[in-house]
Amino acid sequence: MTSSVIPQSRQTHRTVLKNGIVVLVVENPSADIIAARLFIRAGSRWELSHQAGLSHLVSAVMPKGTERLSSLDIAERVESVGASLGTDSASDYFLLSLKTVSADFPEILALAVEVLRSPTFPEEEVELERRLTLQAIRSQQEQPFTIALDQLRSAMYGQHPYAFSGLGTAETVAQLSRQDLQHYHQTYFRPDNLVISVAGRVAPEEAVAQIEAVLGDWQVPSDPLPILDLSPIQSDPHTVIKTQDTQQSIVMLGYLAPSVNANALDLSDYTALKLLNTYLGNGLSSRLFVELREKRGLAYEVSAFYPTRLDASQFVVYMGTAPENTAIALDGLQTEVDRLRSTRLTPEELQSSQNKMLGQYALGKQTNSQLAQIFGWYETIGLGVEFDTRFQQEVAAVTSEAAQEAANRCFVEPYISVLGPAAAIDLLGKQE
Amino acid sequence: MNLNQLSRSTVVPFPAKILKLESGLTLIHQQVPATGVAAVDVWVKAGAIVEPDQWSGMAHFLEHMIFKGTDRLPPGSFDEVIENRGGMTNAATSHDYAHFFMTTASQYLGDTLPYLGELLLNAAIPDDEFDRERDVVLEEIRQTYDSPDCIAFEALAESVYQRHPYGRPILGTEEILMQRSPDEMRRFHRAHYQPHNMAVVIVGDVAQDDAIKWVERSFPAFPSPLTCPHSEPEAEPPIVGIRRQELRLPRLEQARLMMAWMAPGVDDDPLQNAYGLDLISVLLAESQSARLVQELREDRQLVQAVGSSFSMQRESSLFTITAWLEPENLERVEALICDRLSALMTTPVSAIELARSKRLLRNDYAFSTETPGQLAGLYGYYHTVAGAELSVTYPQRIQAFSPEDLQNLASQYLSPYHYAAIVIKPL
Repeated sequence: MTSSVIPQSRQTHRTVLKNGIVVLVVENPSADIIAARLFIRAGSRWELSHQAGLSHLVSAVMPKGTERLSSLDIAERVESVGASLGTDSASDYFLLSLKTVSADFPEILALAVEVLRSPTFPEEEVELERRLTLQAIRSQQEQPFTIALDQLRSAMYGQHPYAFSGLGTAETVAQLSRQDLQHYHQTYFRPDNLVISVAGRVAPEEAVAQIEAVLGDWQVPSDPLPILDLSPIQSDPHTVIKTQDTQQSIVMLGYLAPSVNANALDLSDYTALKLLNTYLGNGLSSRLFVELREKRGLAYEVSAFYPTRLDASQFVVYMGTAPENTAIALDGLQTEVDRLRSTRLTPEELQSSQNKMLGQYALGKQTNSQLAQIFGWYETIGLGVEFDTRFQQEVAAVTSEAAQEAANRCFVEPYISVLGPAAAIDLLGKQE
Repeated sequence: MNLNQLSRSTVVPFPAKILKLESGLTLIHQQVPATGVAAVDVWVKAGAIVEPDQWSGMAHFLEHMIFKGTDRLPPGSFDEVIENRGGMTNAATSHDYAHFFMTTASQYLGDTLPYLGELLLNAAIPDDEFDRERDVVLEEIRQTYDSPDCIAFEALAESVYQRHPYGRPILGTEEILMQRSPDEMRRFHRAHYQPHNMAVVIVGDVAQDDAIKWVERSFPAFPSPLTCPHSEPEAEPPIVGIRRQELRLPRLEQARLMMAWMAPGVDDDPLQNAYGLDLISVLLAESQSARLVQELREDRQLVQAVGSSFSMQRESSLFTITAWLEPENLERVEALICDRLSALMTTPVSAIELARSKRLLRNDYAFSTETPGQLAGLYGYYHTVAGAELSVTYPQRIQAFSPEDLQNLASQYLSPYHYAAIVIKPL
């Protein structure tokens, strides 16, 4: 069976402006909508550990004032044409996103660019968003899954920025100053560090001209972009436990897993593990779902994730289960991961995982926002828009042998994170 | 202005076809060429409101059990068939409906739809699978009880609807689920999963003839209906005075204030009030420039966040306002919200603010109808609660509201003296 026949022929037009801005345009006339994503090569990976949360705070305060406009002015301009304009900080990038009906695009693009280029970070807005961020950090403690993932991340990444939640910590956020925000902005927000990805009802040359009109005069600063010097990630698998009187226990196994980056000519382990992640955790027919939920009724939510990252990523399997099943759940997850090392996928399992992965990849490129996101992201993290095709070809080429070898390299010993009531945790200790 | 008149005189063409098949099953179809995708969404008017009290949770539990196969299909085989072809499937249950959806490359419609039809018509509900899947549902219930927002909302619904089944949790409770049997579920299934109660929506790269052919083949003969106990939904009397309830929860980092007002369902006054309340909700707290967001979050800085929502239901809709805040600000924020609701009744909304709110809702409609799957969901939902063809009139009808209309709606439905409130505080 061939995998997906959903049309993949949409062409991506790539233009580099004189000041280094990369513009990607996918013309998609099907709806009267344009979505755009402005990617800056920054994000929490670029934070110093004593400034964790800086990118998030920048993203929260950025749309709250420019040299000409107040916070409310900006919100009213966007919303009076029913558009959306958002800022977001991720691990490997910083993002401004906008979405409009086609006719309003130039106006909202110009506004987004004003926010991008000349935010003033008003002192009172910094204080407000800092307070709200501190509260949000506390509120994360209400969510068992978040706590379990936080402690897993912290165990796996040590001093590397991936160790922290995007919000930062109470200690670091309390110390951030307006000057820190301005400095971050001055350092990373520059034309040679910007990718703009547009999808929707617009001709490529028209979109490029509109972007050129509002950004063509932005000069590249004379000083070079700073070189990121990150502390290496040391492998030291261990167990972290949080006792909490919850209804469910949360159990997670995590393995350090391959990154992608521009220099990696060979992404075979990355692709093979992406495929194994699909096999284990994606959908109602996935291995974890069938074995641990359908056949044993241990969980409502049981899954796996393996995000694409510039530095060492994490391959995580997890579930929520009744406290008395905590040890069984841990054992069940471990057994399923270990099985991938000892047992090759059958040809049917391999083919079915490939079909699933490629089909869902295609289904994930239906809206203009999805299209703008995926191409802009590939360009930003150095894989280039052609990675869209390459990824699909490489997934189709993964063999059972390659998957097993990748599993043997990656799944050596897990970091373990458990959260649950004391009785369940005590039981766990006795069994180990 | 009489809005019903306007909606009748201005025809918005419905881009899909609504067909009644010989079996009595409804098919809603729209061809969207060049997408390469077929989205199927099957809607069944068998949500939690058709359950008698002692069967609470049955509709949702059945939604899980549908995937457990038939005499001809082993458990999980449909999931494999669709996912092996790169498609996806899932299902959801609410008070008014259960629905089952899948999206696949359009060429695989014929390979996959017969499986979905077989599951929905001939669910076997095997005894051993019933016991095991009940454990999964109990895990789902446990997960919601680890979420303060879920606990708060459940308490709020229960406070608003003291007689109507809208007040019951969709998932049911462990106590009730443990008393139910596979045989009772089979009766529930055979009573409600009947053609007059169901609509199949197909949107995407599929011609009408093919859609009809595949639906007729996939949903050929419904098993003869069985009877099962029905609920007799009582009309919910209006809320008189302020019903306030306070809960204290462990591990809580901030308080919640949830306020709710009952609004009419869609039966007697199709959608008019609902759309107006949608507008009021946007204007109050659904955008950055909205009144309560600006005042409570930005200016007075009394809340971490504030939001509002209008949830349209068949028999009675729900308008809610929720604030996340420090416990010491609870009373002040509740008083301010009530005061701002009074202002809505007495002072007409400005032309600029009204235009902005309308534009947000009209664009939101455009933004959420981009894909075949979104369209199929929209038509199925409207078919179930009101009428599929009404879905596309939304932007135009939103546009027709005047400041006086909103003033009247606020006066009628959003009284600062009659509402339900749930307050959650740390232990």
